[in-house]
Amino acid sequence: MAFGKKKDDREKETYMKMSPKVFLLYLVIIVFCIIVISPLVIVFSSSLRTPENQTTPLALFIEFSGASYKRAFTNMNYLMELVNSIMTTVGSVFCIVIFATMAAYPIGRIKSKFARFLYFFFISGLIIPSQMVIVPIAQTMNRLGVPNTRFTPMIMFITCSLPFSVFLFSGFMKSVPVEIEESAYIDGATLRVRFFNIVFPLLKPAIVSCVITQGLWIWNDYFYPMVFISKKAQYSLPVGMLQFLGDKENPAQWNVLFAACVLCALPLICVFLALQKQFVNGIAAGAVKG
Amino acid sequence: MNKKLTSLLLTGAMALSMASGAVVAHAEEEGYDHQAIENAGDITITMMVSGTATDNDFETEQLPALIKEKWPNVTLEVTKLPDDNYYTSLKTKLASGECPDIILTQPMYAGQNACYAMAEAGYLVPLNDMDSIKDRIDTMQAVTYDGDVVVATTGVSILGCYYNKDLFAEAGIESVPATWDEFLEACQKLQDAGIQPIVMGDKDQYVLQFGLYQIAANEIYPQNPDFDVQLRSGDTSFTDEGTWDKVLEMYKTLYDNKYIDASQSLGYGASQAITDFIDGKAAMTFDGSFNATALTAEGAAGAFERGYFPIPGTDGVYTATCLSAGESIYSGSKYIDECKELLDYWMDGESPVWDAYLATGRIIPTYGNGADSIPNYDLFKPFIDLLNEGKAFYWCNQAWPAGTETEMEVLFSEMVGGQGTEVEDIVEGMQDKFEDLLED
Amino acid sequence: MKKKKKAAAFNSLVFTKRMYLFLIPAMAFFLVFWIYPVLQLFYYSITNFNGINYDFDFVGLKNYSKVLSNGTLTNSLKNTLIYAVCTVALNNLIGLAIAMVLNTKLRAKGFFRTCAYFPALFSAIVVGFIWSYVYMPSQGMIASLINLFGGNGAAFNPLGNFRTALYAIALVEVWKGFGTSMIIYLAGLQTVDESLLEAGRIDGCTEWQLIRKIKLPLISSTITINVILAVIAGLKAFDYSFIMTNGGPGKSTKTLMFQVYETAFTDQKMGRASAFSVLAFAFIILVTVFMLYFLNKREVEL
Repeated sequence: MAFGKKKDDREKETYMKMSPKVFLLYLVIIVFCIIVISPLVIVFSSSLRTPENQTTPLALFIEFSGASYKRAFTNMNYLMELVNSIMTTVGSVFCIVIFATMAAYPIGRIKSKFARFLYFFFISGLIIPSQMVIVPIAQTMNRLGVPNTRFTPMIMFITCSLPFSVFLFSGFMKSVPVEIEESAYIDGATLRVRFFNIVFPLLKPAIVSCVITQGLWIWNDYFYPMVFISKKAQYSLPVGMLQFLGDKENPAQWNVLFAACVLCALPLICVFLALQKQFVNGIAAGAVKG
Repeated sequence: MNKKLTSLLLTGAMALSMASGAVVAHAEEEGYDHQAIENAGDITITMMVSGTATDNDFETEQLPALIKEKWPNVTLEVTKLPDDNYYTSLKTKLASGECPDIILTQPMYAGQNACYAMAEAGYLVPLNDMDSIKDRIDTMQAVTYDGDVVVATTGVSILGCYYNKDLFAEAGIESVPATWDEFLEACQKLQDAGIQPIVMGDKDQYVLQFGLYQIAANEIYPQNPDFDVQLRSGDTSFTDEGTWDKVLEMYKTLYDNKYIDASQSLGYGASQAITDFIDGKAAMTFDGSFNATALTAEGAAGAFERGYFPIPGTDGVYTATCLSAGESIYSGSKYIDECKELLDYWMDGESPVWDAYLATGRIIPTYGNGADSIPNYDLFKPFIDLLNEGKAFYWCNQAWPAGTETEMEVLFSEMVGGQGTEVEDIVEGMQDKFEDLLED
Repeated sequence: MKKKKKAAAFNSLVFTKRMYLFLIPAMAFFLVFWIYPVLQLFYYSITNFNGINYDFDFVGLKNYSKVLSNGTLTNSLKNTLIYAVCTVALNNLIGLAIAMVLNTKLRAKGFFRTCAYFPALFSAIVVGFIWSYVYMPSQGMIASLINLFGGNGAAFNPLGNFRTALYAIALVEVWKGFGTSMIIYLAGLQTVDESLLEAGRIDGCTEWQLIRKIKLPLISSTITINVILAVIAGLKAFDYSFIMTNGGPGKSTKTLMFQVYETAFTDQKMGRASAFSVLAFAFIILVTVFMLYFLNKREVEL
């Protein structure tokens, strides 16, 4: 694992003694964090005001009202969009993990020019942006008779996640000892058993990493759902946010807009705060191992 | 305003009917199945429009509810997307064969949902047999392709100049300017009184059209109503002296004198400009009738009195008023007759849907009940009068291939943003782009 | 040597070609919904397809010559490169610097890390909204701050200025992206063996020398991956031009992807947009390969 030397013994850690240098370090990091986080703080503070109160946004947390949230909540049809987002993200990520680990198995294990070619073949997908290919993709859907349902964007999420995920898993595959499989082979295990019972569980750190990075992307993407969903009842959260696009420069609508922003990000924030360690390790593992 | 108005409508569009062929080509046929919905069982009709949804939005909230009331077996699913996203969605949905049954399209060649382009590709159903359309086909050239009306449009849209009557009085301006010089004078008076004359949200570059098309309606089309037709045949050019160079030069004057402050406007979004206007921070803004609701709302400056006038020309006033965008039926729809029935009910001029539609305050219908008593009628009156006198021309981009206006906007922003672009560069750029777009 | 050969033989016995069957689901998706559409793009690039009407003609290489000659490519390429260089540089410098600070024995490290990573959680569209507000003249966050300190907030207009708009949206990308780089760097730095640093200190190295001579060389592969990821993201820049500036003012924030999008959708020149895309692919591949080559070489040198 990338976070190799599990520095979990935080309690035992000895902190640096205060000195001018250390003080400066604290100062720098604190100021930096304030700058980074300040737009979010103001957005949060404004979202807690009533929709009508737009005066002095810099006066933080002077009012606590749920009115803006209430309006954003109903405007967005929040619960429905939330459920759609969860379904789309979970469903896509599940498929990605299965398909990409399976694909990475031969690519990471077989040492041949062909396997090498496949590796680069998949990775090449990383550099092509989806905006370019969207019309041909839509035509392909048409030819195959795929109707616009909530599953259509999932097809694209799965497809677009493959390059990175295959890259990640085939890189990680190297750290799964070949010997285990060799002995399993001698014991007569079939390929399927070897993969699902032995290799797959050992890929867990990479799977966590894949779930987090791709889940984050899929949760936040608005492009595919916008293009491939016709029914409002199937909208995900970011697509719901699009209807506020005209409000972004309209101070009269800010508080509601900001409440919508918070609502849109809230589920992810909760997950992040609850699983912070997995998040951090997952993101790091993905990059460093890959 | 009904009959008289519509018959005089769009002299320009008439001239530009080369794509529309004979005016009323298809004789009245059998008509469509008026029992389609009744016999259909439970159906879901989908509709997609562009715009920003408001509270209790007509398209997304009231319309589906009213349709449900009329026909409990019909569920109308309406999606409203911001313009750019609407265009992208529309195109991909057409490509994937999953286009909604009812879509919003624009007259002639305007925009990426231009009805001529869509009809040429065979995506739009002819609507000549609709009850709400068959009697006024001759007024609908701008949405008639090859003899078929393809857009169910209900009225006109206006471009004009909203102004704050209180601020005008404060600056000592007694009457609405009737010539360009008077207009400049008024701006100067406002500026001298310490009032920002005009606010624009040029960060959304499309708003540049609002002023420019009005000036073009005054300076180009009265002299040559066929200017755009001749553009296509090569007899005229954007670079012709005394045409677009004049229009752009005139509009530029407003920036040169800081009546519009480019350093501010280029970073202002369209809705921020509207907010500034209703907050009383500027005396005027150029905008369309479609934004009337937002522009007449109460802001920080309270309920001051607002007026709306056409930007006057060097000699005489014409208005940039044209048929508005409307609903079309997708040719791949499974419910073509049902959609016609639905649209007929909506646009029959008397149904509850019609009333709710007019109540939005952004519709200027050319027929039907309440056409003379629409909200904001007083605001629109000067334009309607001009229209009735035949002093109205369409919006330029309706005659251009989509993309020409974008080039104009970009180059104009560059000019007022101090990038060294000159008027002659703009007209050349527009001409190049126009030819380029027309090429294939 | 012999042992190795034997192992290889055994290896191919265990890992037979039948394993390729595992590729089927992923390959099916990838071929049908990605490779095939991309190939179609190549096909469209030699037609005058307008995106709506499927009754189109072949026009040979005209689209390519048009794209190369009409100036849109040069402008968008320039903007994209500036954008990419800014985001790559700032993302990595800030990410690395913060990671280094957080890799020391500070109190409340976890809290700072959370703060720095937080922006990465937000959807591009939400980020676009938030920063439209931050940058807005006269009433926006920065403008309000300027007003508060007696300045003229109305004059603060980064998105309305031809010279600053591109940098302003690049900064938004950095704000959202540096946290991810930071976390990856942090992981890289934690693999640096403490005893090496200790040895360096005993030898009297300054902190800067420790960074330059020990830390950076040891995390060179992390640097490579971070830079490459940022380069790819930078070259694909689209979201903030689309959400915040719509390419303006003028053409100053039109990136490659934005230009492709506009050619395809506004100008309705799907054929030309496809030719544009093909050229853009070629360019992105070239840059990525070059970067990989360059960075790998550096990795070895370090």
